[in-house]
Amino acid sequence: MAEKRMTFLKKLMEFCGINPDRLRVRWVSSSEASEFVEEISTFVEDIKKTGPNPLKAKEAA
Amino acid sequence: MSQKIRQYVHQLLSEGKIKAFLGLREENGHIMPHLFCEPQELEQISLGDRKEPGDARYPLNQLLIRLAREHPDDTFAVLTRGCDERGLKELFKWNQLNEERVVPVGVGCPDDLARACECEKPFPDCLIDGPQGQKADSEKVARIDGMDLEGRLKFWMGEFDRCIKCFGCRNVCPMCFCNECSIEEESLVGKGEIPPDNPTFHLIRAVHMVGRCIDCGLCEEACPADIPLRTLYKKVADIVSEELGYRTGYSIEEKSPFNIIGG
Repeated sequence: MAEKRMTFLKKLMEFCGINPDRLRVRWVSSSEASEFVEEISTFVEDIKKTGPNPLKAKEAA
Repeated sequence: MSQKIRQYVHQLLSEGKIKAFLGLREENGHIMPHLFCEPQELEQISLGDRKEPGDARYPLNQLLIRLAREHPDDTFAVLTRGCDERGLKELFKWNQLNEERVVPVGVGCPDDLARACECEKPFPDCLIDGPQGQKADSEKVARIDGMDLEGRLKFWMGEFDRCIKCFGCRNVCPMCFCNECSIEEESLVGKGEIPPDNPTFHLIRAVHMVGRCIDCGLCEEACPADIPLRTLYKKVADIVSEELGYRTGYSIEEKSPFNIIGG
């Protein structure tokens, strides 16, 4: 159900013009520290590639 | 067109099957909701056609909830279009109305109204009068789907930022029956700011319309800023249908998927 909610949210973001890649969900257990680090690091990298949030630009203006 | 409706309600009233009929009345050129308690009043019945078919509509189910709360043992009939029937089905499931105490009096919408609404089912199952019109696909949703990300953001922010936070969309909504409302929750949306935090403000409402919105379009009609809320909620309904296989207001048993925690 959580996964479906996330897909719903991504599609809604897309319809409103917000890049759905800005939202990510992964299931990581508390014993999987390296997976967690790996996931966050990739996410940070990917987000940097995506660039600044266009909604933030509006706030600053 | 109102003749068959009038006869049907007349019979319900005279046989004592209902306490009263909640419908519309025309008086001095104005159309307004009215509770018909006596058969002789029914001459004034209106189907909400002022200049065009169905251009005077009201959230009758919202009034019905209030009425039913005050008179829980009485049975009321209510004027019901396709959208209103979807609303009734959801309101029964959400325990806001008792199915045994409601007699829907169905009226089908003419083609031009169905097209203007881009309605998925412009007639109720309990049809007494009016046509059994065709389903109309939403060109408005398709138009936004056809834009790129940047275009969509520009479009929606332009629309949302006209919002004067009058809460008209929520107040007119026949499906908004919560005692506490998230769009008034200060931790989510700051107070005293116009336009409100966008797109947050409008997207909170959009998400909360899952399993609620029956696509009656009264929110968009009520909006003084002409924000295309209906188009947004239509898309929300489409996504829920694609992802969760649920369409609001069609099943009498199945509950809204967002009502289920976990699973």
